[in-house]
Amino acid sequence: MGFLTILKKLRQKEKEMRILMLGLDNAGKTTILKRFNGEPIDTISPTLGFNIKTLEHKGYKLNIWDVGGQKSLRSYWKNYFESTDGVAWVVDSADPRRLADCVRELHSLLREERLSGATLLVLANKSDLPGALSLQEIREVLDLDSIKTHHWRIVRCSAVTGENLLEGMDWMLDDIASRIFTLD
Amino acid sequence: MSLVGNKCESISLVEASRDEILSEVTPDDVLKLDKITDTYLCSPEANVYDIDFTRFKIRDLETGTVLFEIAKPPTDFGVDNEGGEDGSDDPLDPNAGRFVRYQFTPQFLKLRTVGATVEFTVGARPVTHFRMIEKHFFRDTLLKTFDFEFGFCIPFSRNTCEHIYEFPTLPHDLVEEMIAAPFETCSDSFYFVDNHLVMHNKADYAYNGGINN
Repeated sequence: MGFLTILKKLRQKEKEMRILMLGLDNAGKTTILKRFNGEPIDTISPTLGFNIKTLEHKGYKLNIWDVGGQKSLRSYWKNYFESTDGVAWVVDSADPRRLADCVRELHSLLREERLSGATLLVLANKSDLPGALSLQEIREVLDLDSIKTHHWRIVRCSAVTGENLLEGMDWMLDDIASRIFTLD
Repeated sequence: MSLVGNKCESISLVEASRDEILSEVTPDDVLKLDKITDTYLCSPEANVYDIDFTRFKIRDLETGTVLFEIAKPPTDFGVDNEGGEDGSDDPLDPNAGRFVRYQFTPQFLKLRTVGATVEFTVGARPVTHFRMIEKHFFRDTLLKTFDFEFGFCIPFSRNTCEHIYEFPTLPHDLVEEMIAAPFETCSDSFYFVDNHLVMHNKADYAYNGGINN
Protein backbone atom coordinates (compact mmCIF):
# COMPACT_ATOMS: atom_id res chain seq x y z
CA MET A 1 0.00 0.00 0.00
CA GLY A 2 1.53 3.30 -1.09
CA PHE A 3 1.75 6.41 1.03
CA LEU A 4 -0.88 8.17 -1.02
CA THR A 5 -3.28 5.28 -0.51
CA ILE A 6 -2.77 5.45 3.23
CA LEU A 7 -3.34 9.19 3.20
CA LYS A 8 -6.51 8.78 1.23
CA LYS A 9 -7.76 6.15 3.63
CA LEU A 10 -6.96 8.26 6.67
CA ARG A 11 -8.84 11.22 5.30
CA GLN A 12 -11.69 9.13 4.04
CA LYS A 13 -12.40 8.02 7.58
CA GLU A 14 -13.14 11.55 8.67
CA LYS A 15 -14.18 12.93 5.28
CA GLU A 16 -12.62 16.18 6.33
CA MET A 17 -12.00 19.10 3.97
CA ARG A 18 -10.29 22.42 4.44
CA ILE A 19 -11.66 25.33 2.44
CA LEU A 20 -9.91 28.69 2.27
CA MET A 21 -11.95 31.78 1.36
CA LEU A 22 -9.88 34.62 0.00
CA GLY A 23 -10.34 37.74 -2.09
CA LEU A 24 -9.93 41.50 -1.78
CA ASP A 25 -11.37 43.30 1.21
CA ASN A 26 -15.07 44.13 0.91
CA ALA A 27 -15.62 41.32 -1.61
CA GLY A 28 -18.13 39.72 0.78
CA LYS A 29 -16.27 36.69 2.14
CA THR A 30 -17.59 36.93 5.68
CA THR A 31 -21.11 37.68 4.48
CA ILE A 32 -21.04 34.59 2.26
CA LEU A 33 -19.74 32.49 5.14
CA LYS A 34 -22.46 33.75 7.47
CA ARG A 35 -25.16 33.36 4.87
CA PHE A 36 -24.03 29.81 4.21
CA ASN A 37 -24.41 29.04 7.91
CA GLY A 38 -27.74 30.73 8.48
CA GLU A 39 -26.50 33.69 10.47
CA PRO A 40 -27.77 37.27 10.22
CA ILE A 41 -25.76 39.37 7.76
CA ASP A 42 -26.88 42.84 8.78
CA THR A 43 -23.89 43.83 10.90
CA ILE A 44 -20.59 42.66 9.48
CA SER A 45 -17.39 44.57 10.03
CA PRO A 46 -14.09 44.17 8.16
CA THR A 47 -12.27 40.98 9.14
CA LEU A 48 -9.00 41.86 10.84
CA GLY A 49 -7.89 38.27 11.23
CA PHE A 50 -9.86 35.13 10.39
CA ASN A 51 -13.29 33.60 10.81
CA ILE A 52 -13.46 29.83 10.99
CA LYS A 53 -16.53 27.65 10.73
CA THR A 54 -16.45 23.94 11.27
CA LEU A 55 -19.60 22.17 10.18
CA GLU A 56 -20.97 19.04 8.60
CA HIS A 57 -22.35 19.33 5.10
CA LYS A 58 -23.25 16.54 2.69
CA GLY A 59 -21.56 14.06 5.01
CA TYR A 60 -18.27 15.97 4.97
CA LYS A 61 -16.64 17.68 7.89
CA LEU A 62 -15.81 21.12 6.56
CA ASN A 63 -13.31 23.55 8.02
CA ILE A 64 -13.87 26.86 6.28
CA TRP A 65 -11.36 29.66 6.81
CA ASP A 66 -12.25 33.20 5.86
CA VAL A 67 -9.15 35.38 6.14
CA GLY A 68 -9.27 39.18 5.96
CA GLY A 69 -8.48 40.65 2.53
CA GLN A 70 -7.10 44.08 3.38
CA LYS A 71 -3.82 44.82 1.73
CA SER A 72 -1.91 44.74 5.03
CA LEU A 73 -3.25 41.26 5.74
CA ARG A 74 -2.55 39.63 2.37
CA SER A 75 1.07 38.86 3.19
CA TYR A 76 -0.26 36.62 5.96
CA TRP A 77 -2.44 34.52 3.62
CA LYS A 78 0.42 32.10 3.05
CA ASN A 79 0.15 30.98 6.66
CA TYR A 80 -3.20 29.40 5.83
CA PHE A 81 -2.29 27.47 2.65
CA GLU A 82 -1.17 24.22 4.26
CA SER A 83 -3.54 21.29 3.70
CA THR A 84 -6.04 23.42 1.79
CA ASP A 85 -8.32 21.32 -0.42
CA GLY A 86 -10.32 24.11 -2.00
CA VAL A 87 -10.01 27.86 -2.50
CA ALA A 88 -13.15 29.98 -2.75
CA TRP A 89 -12.04 33.22 -4.42
CA VAL A 90 -14.62 35.92 -3.82
CA VAL A 91 -14.95 38.81 -6.29
CA ASP A 92 -17.00 41.99 -5.94
CA SER A 93 -18.72 41.98 -9.35
CA ALA A 94 -19.86 45.56 -8.86
CA ASP A 95 -16.39 47.02 -8.31
CA PRO A 96 -14.71 47.02 -11.73
CA ARG A 97 -12.06 49.52 -10.59
CA ARG A 98 -10.42 46.95 -8.37
CA LEU A 99 -10.51 44.02 -10.77
CA ALA A 100 -6.91 44.62 -11.82
CA ASP A 101 -5.88 44.19 -8.20
CA CYS A 102 -8.09 41.16 -7.98
CA VAL A 103 -6.65 39.38 -11.00
CA ARG A 104 -3.10 39.99 -9.82
CA GLU A 105 -3.77 38.54 -6.36
CA LEU A 106 -5.61 35.55 -7.79
CA HIS A 107 -2.90 34.56 -10.21
CA SER A 108 -0.15 34.98 -7.64
CA LEU A 109 -2.16 32.65 -5.40
CA LEU A 110 -2.39 30.05 -8.13
CA ARG A 111 1.40 29.94 -8.37
CA GLU A 112 1.66 28.84 -4.74
CA GLU A 113 3.03 25.35 -4.50
CA ARG A 114 1.08 24.53 -1.36
CA LEU A 115 -2.17 25.26 -3.19
CA SER A 116 -1.23 23.28 -6.27
CA GLY A 117 -3.72 20.51 -5.62
CA ALA A 118 -6.60 22.76 -4.58
CA THR A 119 -9.88 23.15 -6.41
CA LEU A 120 -10.75 26.76 -7.28
CA LEU A 121 -14.25 28.15 -7.01
CA VAL A 122 -14.63 31.77 -8.14
CA LEU A 123 -17.65 33.38 -6.54
CA ALA A 124 -18.74 36.42 -8.56
CA ASN A 125 -20.51 38.02 -5.62
CA LYS A 126 -22.89 41.01 -5.52
CA SER A 127 -24.20 40.02 -8.94
CA ASP A 128 -27.60 41.34 -7.86
CA LEU A 129 -26.28 44.91 -7.66
CA PRO A 130 -26.97 47.34 -10.51
CA GLY A 131 -23.84 47.82 -12.60
CA ALA A 132 -22.45 44.40 -11.73
CA LEU A 133 -20.31 42.92 -14.47
CA SER A 134 -21.57 39.83 -16.22
CA LEU A 135 -20.12 36.43 -15.52
CA GLN A 136 -18.48 36.39 -18.94
CA GLU A 137 -16.84 39.77 -18.34
CA ILE A 138 -15.39 38.66 -15.02
CA ARG A 139 -14.23 35.41 -16.50
CA GLU A 140 -12.32 37.34 -19.15
CA VAL A 141 -10.86 39.97 -16.86
CA LEU A 142 -9.69 37.33 -14.41
CA ASP A 143 -8.21 35.37 -17.32
CA LEU A 144 -9.72 32.21 -15.94
CA ASP A 145 -9.44 30.28 -19.19
CA SER A 146 -5.66 30.42 -18.90
CA ILE A 147 -5.79 28.32 -15.74
CA LYS A 148 -4.63 24.80 -16.53
CA THR A 149 -3.16 23.92 -13.15
CA HIS A 150 -6.34 23.77 -11.10
CA HIS A 151 -9.87 22.49 -11.46
CA TRP A 152 -11.91 25.67 -11.50
CA ARG A 153 -15.40 27.02 -11.97
CA ILE A 154 -16.98 30.46 -11.75
CA VAL A 155 -20.52 31.10 -10.54
CA ARG A 156 -22.46 34.32 -10.22
CA CYS A 157 -23.82 34.65 -6.73
CA SER A 158 -25.16 36.99 -4.12
CA ALA A 159 -24.55 36.66 -0.42
CA VAL A 160 -27.60 38.84 0.17
CA THR A 161 -30.10 36.82 -1.86
CA GLY A 162 -28.26 33.53 -1.32
CA GLU A 163 -28.27 32.86 -5.06
CA ASN A 164 -25.92 30.03 -6.12
CA LEU A 165 -23.94 29.87 -2.87
CA LEU A 166 -24.92 26.30 -2.16
CA GLU A 167 -24.59 25.24 -5.80
CA GLY A 168 -21.08 26.67 -6.03
CA MET A 169 -19.98 25.16 -2.75
CA ASP A 170 -21.44 21.77 -3.62
CA TRP A 171 -19.59 21.72 -6.94
CA MET A 172 -16.32 22.42 -5.13
CA LEU A 173 -16.94 19.75 -2.50
CA ASP A 174 -17.78 17.14 -5.14
CA ASP A 175 -14.68 18.04 -7.11
CA ILE A 176 -12.48 17.77 -4.02
CA ALA A 177 -14.12 14.51 -2.99
CA SER A 178 -13.48 12.95 -6.38
CA ARG A 179 -9.79 13.79 -6.01
CA ILE A 180 -9.00 12.95 -2.41
CA PHE A 181 -11.38 10.26 -1.27
CA THR A 182 -11.17 6.74 -2.59
CA LEU A 183 -14.36 5.40 -4.09
CA ASP A 184 -16.32 3.06 -1.88
CA MET B 1 -39.54 30.85 28.77
CA SER B 2 -35.97 31.72 28.26
CA LEU B 3 -33.64 28.86 27.53
CA VAL B 4 -30.76 30.54 29.15
CA GLY B 5 -30.25 31.72 32.62
CA ASN B 6 -27.72 34.10 33.97
CA LYS B 7 -24.02 33.95 34.03
CA CYS B 8 -22.44 34.51 37.39
CA GLU B 9 -19.35 36.53 37.93
CA SER B 10 -15.97 34.91 37.98
CA ILE B 11 -15.36 32.77 40.98
CA SER B 12 -11.90 31.99 42.15
CA LEU B 13 -11.24 28.28 42.07
CA VAL B 14 -8.51 26.46 43.81
CA GLU B 15 -5.48 28.46 42.99
CA ALA B 16 -2.53 26.47 41.84
CA SER B 17 0.44 27.21 43.97
CA ARG B 18 3.40 28.11 41.85
CA ASP B 19 5.54 25.07 42.65
CA GLU B 20 2.68 22.71 41.86
CA ILE B 21 2.49 23.97 38.32
CA LEU B 22 4.00 21.43 36.02
CA SER B 23 6.86 22.82 34.07
CA GLU B 24 5.73 21.43 30.75
CA VAL B 25 2.21 20.21 30.08
CA THR B 26 1.81 18.77 26.61
CA PRO B 27 -1.30 18.32 24.45
CA ASP B 28 -0.97 14.56 24.93
CA ASP B 29 -1.02 15.02 28.70
CA VAL B 30 -4.32 16.86 28.67
CA LEU B 31 -5.87 14.57 26.06
CA LYS B 32 -5.26 11.72 28.50
CA LEU B 33 -6.92 13.43 31.46
CA ASP B 34 -9.91 11.41 32.65
CA LYS B 35 -11.33 13.96 35.04
CA ILE B 36 -11.47 17.67 35.66
CA THR B 37 -8.22 19.08 37.01
CA ASP B 38 -7.98 20.30 40.61
CA THR B 39 -5.75 23.19 39.71
CA TYR B 40 -4.86 25.40 36.80
CA LEU B 41 -2.03 23.78 34.89
CA CYS B 42 -0.39 27.06 33.98
CA SER B 43 -0.13 30.48 35.54
CA PRO B 44 -1.99 33.48 34.11
CA GLU B 45 1.43 34.84 33.14
CA ALA B 46 1.95 31.94 30.73
CA ASN B 47 -0.16 33.88 28.24
CA VAL B 48 2.76 35.81 26.80
CA TYR B 49 0.90 36.29 23.52
CA ASP B 50 -1.81 38.47 25.08
CA ILE B 51 -4.50 36.14 23.78
CA ASP B 52 -7.77 37.54 25.02
CA PHE B 53 -11.18 35.90 24.66
CA THR B 54 -13.65 38.65 23.89
CA ARG B 55 -16.88 36.85 23.04
CA PHE B 56 -18.67 33.56 23.60
CA LYS B 57 -21.88 32.75 21.81
CA ILE B 58 -24.07 29.69 21.54
CA ARG B 59 -26.88 29.46 18.99
CA ASP B 60 -29.47 26.88 18.11
CA LEU B 61 -29.17 26.10 14.41
CA GLU B 62 -32.69 24.69 14.17
CA THR B 63 -34.40 27.93 15.20
CA GLY B 64 -31.56 30.38 14.59
CA THR B 65 -31.95 31.60 18.17
CA VAL B 66 -28.96 32.95 20.03
CA LEU B 67 -29.12 31.10 23.34
CA PHE B 68 -26.22 32.71 25.06
CA GLU B 69 -23.90 35.56 24.29
CA ILE B 70 -21.41 37.39 26.39
CA ALA B 71 -18.92 39.91 25.08
CA LYS B 72 -16.24 41.92 26.75
CA PRO B 73 -16.86 45.62 26.41
CA PRO B 74 -14.41 46.95 23.85
CA THR B 75 -11.41 48.64 25.41
CA ASP B 76 -10.18 51.87 23.97
CA PHE B 77 -7.68 51.15 21.29
CA GLY B 78 -4.14 51.90 22.34
CA VAL B 79 -4.98 52.44 25.99
CA ASP B 80 -2.73 50.46 28.23
CA ASN B 81 -4.18 49.04 31.41
CA GLU B 82 -0.90 48.95 33.19
CA GLY B 83 -0.33 51.51 35.86
CA GLY B 84 -3.95 52.67 35.90
CA GLU B 85 -4.92 53.76 39.38
CA ASP B 86 -8.49 52.66 39.05
CA GLY B 87 -7.59 49.40 37.37
CA SER B 88 -10.44 46.95 37.80
CA ASP B 89 -8.08 43.99 37.94
CA ASP B 90 -8.24 42.60 41.43
CA PRO B 91 -4.65 42.04 42.48
CA LEU B 92 -5.80 39.45 45.02
CA ASP B 93 -7.34 37.17 42.45
CA PRO B 94 -4.95 36.27 39.65
CA ASN B 95 -7.43 33.71 38.36
CA ALA B 96 -10.27 36.16 37.80
CA GLY B 97 -11.43 35.76 34.26
CA ARG B 98 -10.28 32.17 33.97
CA PHE B 99 -13.48 30.71 35.27
CA VAL B 100 -17.04 31.06 33.98
CA ARG B 101 -20.24 29.68 35.48
CA TYR B 102 -23.13 28.96 33.13
CA GLN B 103 -26.72 28.43 34.15
CA PHE B 104 -29.05 26.88 31.61
CA THR B 105 -32.57 25.48 31.69
CA PRO B 106 -33.20 21.75 31.13
CA GLN B 107 -34.26 22.53 27.54
CA PHE B 108 -30.63 23.19 26.72
CA LEU B 109 -29.85 19.48 26.94
CA LYS B 110 -32.52 18.75 24.33
CA LEU B 111 -30.92 20.84 21.58
CA ARG B 112 -29.91 19.00 18.43
CA THR B 113 -27.53 21.24 16.51
CA VAL B 114 -25.67 24.07 18.15
CA GLY B 115 -23.05 26.55 17.04
CA ALA B 116 -20.50 27.61 19.62
CA THR B 117 -18.51 30.72 18.75
CA VAL B 118 -15.46 32.14 20.41
CA GLU B 119 -13.86 35.42 19.47
CA PHE B 120 -10.36 36.30 20.55
CA THR B 121 -7.71 38.89 19.96
CA VAL B 122 -3.97 38.41 19.94
CA GLY B 123 -1.21 40.85 20.78
CA ALA B 124 1.87 42.08 18.97
CA ARG B 125 3.50 38.70 18.50
CA PRO B 126 2.39 36.33 15.76
CA VAL B 127 0.95 33.12 17.19
CA THR B 128 1.82 29.84 15.53
CA HIS B 129 0.20 26.44 15.93
CA PHE B 130 -2.53 27.75 18.20
CA ARG B 131 -4.50 24.77 19.40
CA MET B 132 -7.46 24.36 21.72
CA ILE B 133 -8.27 21.21 23.62
CA GLU B 134 -11.47 21.33 25.62
CA LYS B 135 -12.82 18.52 27.75
CA HIS B 136 -16.31 18.36 29.22
CA PHE B 137 -17.11 16.11 32.15
CA PHE B 138 -20.11 15.26 34.26
CA ARG B 139 -18.53 14.09 37.51
CA ASP B 140 -15.96 11.59 36.21
CA THR B 141 -17.70 10.86 32.91
CA LEU B 142 -16.16 12.42 29.82
CA LEU B 143 -18.96 13.92 27.73
CA LYS B 144 -17.06 15.51 24.87
CA THR B 145 -13.57 16.48 23.76
CA PHE B 146 -12.85 19.27 21.31
CA ASP B 147 -9.43 19.30 19.74
CA PHE B 148 -8.95 22.02 17.15
CA GLU B 149 -5.95 23.74 15.65
CA PHE B 150 -6.43 27.39 14.75
CA GLY B 151 -2.91 27.44 13.41
CA PHE B 152 -1.50 30.87 12.74
CA CYS B 153 -2.88 34.10 14.17
CA ILE B 154 -1.94 37.48 12.69
CA PRO B 155 -0.45 40.03 15.14
CA PHE B 156 -3.11 42.37 16.57
CA SER B 157 -5.83 40.32 14.89
CA ARG B 158 -9.39 39.68 16.00
CA ASN B 159 -10.52 36.18 15.10
CA THR B 160 -13.62 34.07 15.45
CA CYS B 161 -14.26 30.36 15.32
CA GLU B 162 -17.65 28.70 15.31
CA HIS B 163 -17.98 24.98 15.79
CA ILE B 164 -21.33 23.77 14.53
CA TYR B 165 -22.01 20.31 15.85
CA GLU B 166 -24.64 17.79 16.69
CA PHE B 167 -25.26 17.86 20.40
CA PRO B 168 -24.13 14.53 21.81
CA THR B 169 -27.13 12.33 22.51
CA LEU B 170 -26.93 11.63 26.19
CA PRO B 171 -28.76 8.78 27.89
CA HIS B 172 -31.98 9.92 29.57
CA ASP B 173 -30.74 8.88 33.03
CA LEU B 174 -27.59 10.91 32.62
CA VAL B 175 -29.56 13.97 31.55
CA GLU B 176 -31.75 13.67 34.66
CA GLU B 177 -28.66 13.37 36.83
CA MET B 178 -27.04 16.39 35.21
CA ILE B 179 -30.15 18.48 35.80
CA ALA B 180 -30.32 17.32 39.43
CA ALA B 181 -26.66 18.05 40.10
CA PRO B 182 -25.97 21.67 39.22
CA PHE B 183 -22.33 22.64 38.61
CA GLU B 184 -21.13 19.05 38.60
CA THR B 185 -20.82 19.40 34.81
CA CYS B 186 -17.45 21.04 34.25
CA SER B 187 -15.02 21.81 31.49
CA ASP B 188 -11.32 22.46 31.16
CA SER B 189 -10.10 24.47 28.17
CA PHE B 190 -6.43 24.25 27.36
CA TYR B 191 -4.73 26.49 24.82
CA PHE B 192 -1.36 25.66 23.34
CA VAL B 193 1.03 27.68 21.21
CA ASP B 194 3.71 25.53 19.58
CA ASN B 195 2.79 22.79 22.06
CA HIS B 196 3.36 25.04 25.07
CA LEU B 197 0.42 25.52 27.38
CA VAL B 198 -0.34 29.24 27.46
CA MET B 199 -3.87 29.35 28.88
CA HIS B 200 -6.10 27.16 30.98
CA ASN B 201 -9.70 28.19 31.60
CA LYS B 202 -12.45 26.43 33.50
CA ALA B 203 -16.21 26.52 33.44
CA ASP B 204 -19.05 24.79 35.20
CA TYR B 205 -22.63 24.36 34.19
CA ALA B 206 -26.08 23.97 35.73
CA TYR B 207 -29.14 22.86 33.79
CA ASN B 208 -31.79 23.41 36.43
CA GLY B 209 -32.61 27.02 35.58
CA GLY B 210 -36.32 27.74 35.97
CA ILE B 211 -36.85 24.72 38.20
CA ASN B 212 -37.81 25.35 41.82
CA ASN B 213 -34.67 25.01 43.79
